[in-house]
Amino acid sequence: MTEDEVLDYVKTAARMMALPLDQARARAVAQQLTRTMAMARVVETAPLAPEDELAEIYRPAPFPANGESA
Amino acid sequence: VKTVELLHSIASGERSAREVCDAAIVRIEESERRINAFTQRTFDRARGEADAVDRRRMRSKPLPALAGLPYAVKNLFDVAGVTTLAGSTINRELPAAATDAVLVQRLHAAGAVLLGSLNMDEYAYGFSTENTHYGPTHNPHGLSRMAGGSSGGSGAAVAAGQVPLTLGSDTNGSIRVPASLCGVWGLKPTFGRLSRRGTYPFVHSLDHLGPLADSVEVLALAYDAMQGPDALDPGCHALRVQPVMQKLAKGIEGLRIGVLGGYFHELATPAALRVAQMAARILDAADIVEWPDASVGRCAAFIITASEGGSLHLDDLRKRPQDFEPLSVDRFIAGALQPADWYLKAQRFRRVYRDKVNALFEHWDVLLAPATPLSAPAIGEDWIDINGTRHPSRPALGLLTQPISFAGCPVAVAPMWPEGTGGMPIGVQLIAGPWKEDMCLRAARVLQESGVAHP
Repeated sequence: MTEDEVLDYVKTAARMMALPLDQARARAVAQQLTRTMAMARVVETAPLAPEDELAEIYRPAPFPANGESA
Repeated sequence: VKTVELLHSIASGERSAREVCDAAIVRIEESERRINAFTQRTFDRARGEADAVDRRRMRSKPLPALAGLPYAVKNLFDVAGVTTLAGSTINRELPAAATDAVLVQRLHAAGAVLLGSLNMDEYAYGFSTENTHYGPTHNPHGLSRMAGGSSGGSGAAVAAGQVPLTLGSDTNGSIRVPASLCGVWGLKPTFGRLSRRGTYPFVHSLDHLGPLADSVEVLALAYDAMQGPDALDPGCHALRVQPVMQKLAKGIEGLRIGVLGGYFHELATPAALRVAQMAARILDAADIVEWPDASVGRCAAFIITASEGGSLHLDDLRKRPQDFEPLSVDRFIAGALQPADWYLKAQRFRRVYRDKVNALFEHWDVLLAPATPLSAPAIGEDWIDINGTRHPSRPALGLLTQPISFAGCPVAVAPMWPEGTGGMPIGVQLIAGPWKEDMCLRAARVLQESGVAHP
């Protein structure tokens, strides 16, 4: 992606997120996002199978201990 | 006087806790103008806690493990009666905390004496503690140098001798980087070991809390005092206390110790490599070990951090970006705008990564790597050179810590003093498998006893 394309993305995404950005801020954010984009490319090199789930965050309740009914 | 001896002298009545507390207050007042570690002083509370210890001893009641020990906490820990700043000015508008954070409650129960709250990067997003609102914290070993971050006040307060113990948080290296740059001991426990309740979060998926100290014993005593399950913290996975203090004397007998190569070699300057070699020599570690997917792990941690951090502060980023730290506000906004796919892939990769890292620890007990690629850069330095490649200084300070915390492994940092740094320290990471903090600390104690690692 070119610098201008990243800048366009930043401006559009910021509007969607209701984040007001002036031109200087948008450029600075685009510069940061370009760095992160390079890192996302690195993560994409790691093969993931369809069954590779997210690292766990949520559980509805602790699993019942032995002898405890569900 | 060594801090452990100081604790013994309080327990025996040779010194009063009040006397030790007042001495710490004098040290803080004498050095603080140079260091800028404290953002809030709680001296009245400290005197009250110290007097309570002395009254207890006079009644011949047994004293708890940390009775009379002065300490301070990063200002993202709740302290009753104090507003939790988390390094920001925005949080000044919040009411004062009604109660102490869980870990502060546990240190209070262990008899420790709280002297105040410490400077940090705003909302913990940084590795330098060049806080624009409260001023940079200065490295006590070179006042023009960074203290590291984001727990920079915590590293500097111990290094300056203000207090022997501090608490910090570590999302991507924020205990280990200041421990390395300030030359003090640090412990980032296993992810989920210590309760985070009552602290201001940064990245829920990655936040850890832990101690920094002037000796391995103080690190271990504080860590043991802070352990315990907390059913009210969804991120606390520990089900029981696993004390380490009594295990320190076991040394490294039976431990399989290796040195991380590859990524951890390529991204370390010669001085940083020397600290790993110095530690390896003492610990009799000859084999070079490859950490799986270190670069991918670092990138995935970076993406998750930016995304969760940006989301957490989105409302304020919309309404008042001008009130944020100028050094990190653009990163917060960029994080809030990241495509969901980047975040989801990073979280899915984390599970695969964990399995690979855990498989590595079937063959090893402790692995060594430098904690930072180099010693403390100058405050205000935007770029650093690592083996001929230019890196932005602030994110690059966490290059060697991020892959480890992303796996959630416990790490002790030992303060080392290599040649070629102008007398500045660099820490070495002693990394173990999940829930094996005792192994990190046993190796740390051996380095301390050898004399090669010291504050």
